Amino acid sequence: MARIQLQGIQKRWGSVWGVRDVNIDIANEEFLVLLGPSGCGKTTTMRMIAGLEDPTDGNIIVDGEIMNDVDARDRDVAMVFQGYALYPNMTVYENIRFPLRMRSVPKNMHDELVRRAAKMVELTDFLERKPRSLSGGQRQRAALARAIVREPQVFLMDEPLSNLDAKLRQAMRVQIKHIQRELKITTVYVTHDQIEAMTLADRIVIMQGGTIQQIGTPDEIYSDPANTFVASFIGAPPMNLIDGEIRDGSFIMPDVKVSDVGINSLGPIKLGIRPEDCAVVSSNNSSHNLKGSVYGIEPTGDMTFLTLRVGETNVEIKVNREYRSELGVQEKVVFDPKRLYFFDSDTGKRIR
Amino acid sequence: MSSTRSSKGENLYIRYLVLGSWALFCLMPVIWFLSIGFRPRTEIITARPIYFPTFSLDAWHMIWSDWPMAKYLRNSVAAIIGSVIIDLILAIPAAYSLSRFRYRGREDIGFYILSTRMMAPAIVAIPIFFLFRNMGLLDTIWALMLVYAAVNLSIVTWIIRSYMTDIPKELEDAARTDGASDLRILWEIIIPAVLPGIITAAVIAMIFAINEFLFTLLIASTPDAYTMSVALANFTGGSDGLIYNAIALVAFLAFMPVFLVVVAIQKHLSRGLTMGAIKG
Repeated sequence: MARIQLQGIQKRWGSVWGVRDVNIDIANEEFLVLLGPSGCGKTTTMRMIAGLEDPTDGNIIVDGEIMNDVDARDRDVAMVFQGYALYPNMTVYENIRFPLRMRSVPKNMHDELVRRAAKMVELTDFLERKPRSLSGGQRQRAALARAIVREPQVFLMDEPLSNLDAKLRQAMRVQIKHIQRELKITTVYVTHDQIEAMTLADRIVIMQGGTIQQIGTPDEIYSDPANTFVASFIGAPPMNLIDGEIRDGSFIMPDVKVSDVGINSLGPIKLGIRPEDCAVVSSNNSSHNLKGSVYGIEPTGDMTFLTLRVGETNVEIKVNREYRSELGVQEKVVFDPKRLYFFDSDTGKRIR
Repeated sequence: MSSTRSSKGENLYIRYLVLGSWALFCLMPVIWFLSIGFRPRTEIITARPIYFPTFSLDAWHMIWSDWPMAKYLRNSVAAIIGSVIIDLILAIPAAYSLSRFRYRGREDIGFYILSTRMMAPAIVAIPIFFLFRNMGLLDTIWALMLVYAAVNLSIVTWIIRSYMTDIPKELEDAARTDGASDLRILWEIIIPAVLPGIITAAVIAMIFAINEFLFTLLIASTPDAYTMSVALANFTGGSDGLIYNAIALVAFLAFMPVFLVVVAIQKHLSRGLTMGAIKG
């Protein structure tokens, strides 16, 4: 049970800003993902929640209680680290038991709790091993078991899956989400992987340069991005951003035209359109939005990524897997009019 | 198939030959000590080398009966072990502090500790003599312990510090969020993880201590506090002239404690205990 409020959090080392004015209200039992490129302040934010860093300014409040001056070991949080951070001199069993010993949990309960946590992560057969004789996935599960063993108020996970291969990562993702739902523990999860963020999160916080760009559910982040950073960070391939201008109510750029966009602003503007909201139409269609020559074709199996060269810009389009063409062929494309986004060219902010 | 097998066998043979030669080369002084130590005095200095000398225990008996060798050995071992214990008690917390905590002057303190190793020991010989005389500790192994500990403290601290610096910070962060205090972290996480470093430092300190001569000579004025290194020196100037076979045996005895320690713990001297904590 824990609601975590971050109010006006700042972190600065001398003149270097780590985190600027972060305000997040994390609901009880919520799975919150901090997403952003490396150096965006997401790990620093998490470490402040853990008590491993002190905020320069602002308050960290857990269930109404200001935690700023509470030492890490007195906060009821458990953290899973990117490098697993298993204690190399202890067996898996002792690793999982360590937090119980440190928190003075009665000795007669240790065995039962350790075995239960090990069972949740399917590690029962490896309890007597030392970390160095475990595989990457097993180490990760051991680290997870150590975090869940005492059922803390808050889970913090710092890129826990980044050292695993793709297949294992998918399996662990499902397991982490399952365990979080089962234990109903407020969780903050840091990652730079948008797939992890989208699949795990109740809400995603996108950060860049120490500031929050947008907070929202995965769906809101995907279909209602607040600025060009969010738009181009989420989605694979990311949203196309096409520079142009508004003239007479239409978005205009050589070879691109979208009529009646309902925006009055003048001057340079960016049009955003996701690859899956574009469709290739036959060459005699005259109401197309975009014209370009085929620059690249990447089949992925279930669908194909088509790249068109439009002036100086590449535009990515998802087409079905039967699509066939040659480089240099002129293609015409229409946009889904309900899925158009416009951004201020200077600030990157969404124009609504 | 058979040709690859035979070349593999040949490789192994060459490998053993090379390693064996190297081992022989390294062990030569020891073999030489033993060869001289266990031959009669008359066979030591001869015009022609004697490759297969007569076996004799004369020198062996002599060093134990004419000289209080057991006492010297005991003094050496006690002073050395005592000094290493003092060093570890002081160096481990110091190294932890120097490697982990940030505070003003940390680098300066680290350098200051190292700098005690930079001057010639003879510079402080006289002050140390007076210091121990005033404390009434001259001619005791307690003084030797303290001196050895002081001489080696800097190197022990720096070795342990370098091992501690290599421990991922994540381990401590994990322990802290698990609820461990600084002391618990040091005791349960850091010390086990740097055990190879602690052992390495202890062995190096032992080797330095057993070879220490100047301060021992200064402090130990009677056989009460003589150690092997001083005893060894006394052999060269006996009234019977140079007793080479006894010198060889005493040198061998002086070398044995360290040798035995290294053999006993060689497994730990190699690093690698922290592997597996962080992705390998």
